[in-house]
Amino acid sequence: MSIKELTGGAAYSVDGLRFSYGHPAGSRSGNGWVLDGLTFEVRPGEILGVLGPNGSGKSSLLKILAKVLRQQEGSVKLFGCELIGMPQHEVARSVALVPQESPIAFPFSITEMVLMGRFPHHRRNIGLSGLGWEGPEDIRTAEAAMRETDVLHLAHRSITDVSGGERQRAVIARALTQEPKVLLLDEPTAFLDLHHQLDICSILSRLNEERGLTVVLVSHDLNLAGQHCDRLLLLDRGRTVRLGSPEEVMTPEVLEEVYRCRVLVDRHPQSGLPRVTLPGRKLAVSSQLGDQG
Amino acid sequence: MGLMAGQTRSEERKAVATAFVAPAGEAARPSCVAPVGSSRLSPLRWLLTLSALAAAAVLVLLICLQFGAERIGLAEEIRIVSLAIGAGPAGLESAGASGVILLQVRLPRVLLAFMVGGCLAAVGVGLQALFRNPLADPYVLGISSGAALGAGLAILFGLTGTALAFSALSLCAMAGGLLSVLVVYRIATAYGYLPIHTLLLAGVILNAVFSALVMFVTSIMEPNRSFGMMSWLMGTLTAPDYPAMLVLAAYLLTGLLVLFRQAASLNLLTLGEESARALGVEVEAVKQTVFFTSALLTGAVVSVSGMIGFVGMVIPHALRLLAGADHRLLLPASALVGGMYLMAADTIARTLLAPTEIPVGVVTALAGGPFFIYLLTLRKGRLA
Repeated sequence: MSIKELTGGAAYSVDGLRFSYGHPAGSRSGNGWVLDGLTFEVRPGEILGVLGPNGSGKSSLLKILAKVLRQQEGSVKLFGCELIGMPQHEVARSVALVPQESPIAFPFSITEMVLMGRFPHHRRNIGLSGLGWEGPEDIRTAEAAMRETDVLHLAHRSITDVSGGERQRAVIARALTQEPKVLLLDEPTAFLDLHHQLDICSILSRLNEERGLTVVLVSHDLNLAGQHCDRLLLLDRGRTVRLGSPEEVMTPEVLEEVYRCRVLVDRHPQSGLPRVTLPGRKLAVSSQLGDQG
Repeated sequence: MGLMAGQTRSEERKAVATAFVAPAGEAARPSCVAPVGSSRLSPLRWLLTLSALAAAAVLVLLICLQFGAERIGLAEEIRIVSLAIGAGPAGLESAGASGVILLQVRLPRVLLAFMVGGCLAAVGVGLQALFRNPLADPYVLGISSGAALGAGLAILFGLTGTALAFSALSLCAMAGGLLSVLVVYRIATAYGYLPIHTLLLAGVILNAVFSALVMFVTSIMEPNRSFGMMSWLMGTLTAPDYPAMLVLAAYLLTGLLVLFRQAASLNLLTLGEESARALGVEVEAVKQTVFFTSALLTGAVVSVSGMIGFVGMVIPHALRLLAGADHRLLLPASALVGGMYLMAADTIARTLLAPTEIPVGVVTALAGGPFFIYLLTLRKGRLA
């Protein structure tokens, strides 16, 4: 509530957003838009899940929100400021992106990699030498983030030597080290085991509650999104299909239309929120039999 | 000395590693003492490593000066150097023939080797970060073949004379190198930005085309000239006189400082362009700066040294294993070690078959190649 008053409106307001890779003129003639006229708002302090089939433009949307990609048409405002007009490091001070994949070519230690999250903050102190040493404050922030994502014991290890899940947690620690107001995550739990999936989700929920961190989460995991997100944005071929609470979006009719397959929706035994299950083997067989009969 | 610093560092890492192995289970994980401070590049380690390397560089310089067709002992060397420092050129008279050899022949050559080696290694670091590929080297931008073509044409037409104290050969090589870089850049930026893969491909293709032209030019030369061409292609240091050296040193130092200033951004760039941008790096600006600085540095270096392989690839690689991946240390440390490496290699090239000189590129490749294979087997699977 207080954050809303302070910022006077949305964390992001996206209006008529259109984006395509490659040459824009070529895509205008055909229907090559990856994102085709999106309009929505991200409320401050909410967890927004972005769902949709492969190729629906989820990751592209996230990259545009981080100013990693630029849209061809429409406007994206971050706390009321046009994103296009903001310097990159200014964006990076309020927005952190956890990408789907983090290619690693060089043997930085986990600590060194996490500390890179301080770059947008001490950028102006870099001075003539270009060295920009991290201060004790930076190190404390990194340390706290590493403890939070359970990578502190890997601090000395090289990122080339740890598992995919450990690397993913280190990347999330780096994003938290940015001390962002908005956290954008692209499939953050894809490489994680159950224990760490739950960890990441509870970290997100806690930061969201304690610090009012706004989270935009892209996921294929409908159940994870359904359990932890305040609202869901369901995309299909670059367009909004539905935007609303999990109850509104996760209905069999809507999901079957978008994913083009049968799904079962019941209730989570603990939270009572909608839960999606793919048809089991028996059902598939009996429905086939039914068709024949 | 550099190696020692690196070894101490890796021992440190091991010690930290063993200290933080949890006895058993999740609960045993340390939560009070953080290894964060020791697992990053600290300003103190930066200062100590670079001071040690700088001292080592002076030592290597003094050792390299002793060797040549005629050995000059350390005592004699110190006497001459102190005379020259104390009395200036006038003191040289009293130093005699060995004074002239030391200060007029060997010192420029050894200093040139230091500058060339240092630049090649630093540019190698920069381009490896830019291409996110530990196998990139300063010649990957297509500079080398362009410069070779320029040099080849100068030799073919027998251009002599000097301008700004640099030989016609050097100037033609520089012009050729820069021309090829501009062509590569134009091809790569056809869409208004600098895509790294296209840049790499354009460099490789242009290298192939220009190499063919170099072969052609060499094949139609008179035999005595083609010998000069061959030795240029294999790398030979030709030291200009002191005023030109000074100009060159100032030019190279400026370029290196511009490159060093990008160190923090290069660290982030190795995470991938998208991640770097999301962390606040103006990626296109950094890429342009690194590209043009590397091109201008390599162009100048190639024009006075020909093509000296392996320094720009092996030194950054070895240093990354020993001193860590942080470019704030890696760039200057590679420059110092690259300089030392080429001073030593050039001394071997000058003295091994004296008075005949071996092209220094042969020495660097023969010493660097096996070392690189050793590194490959040592760190299997961690290079790509």
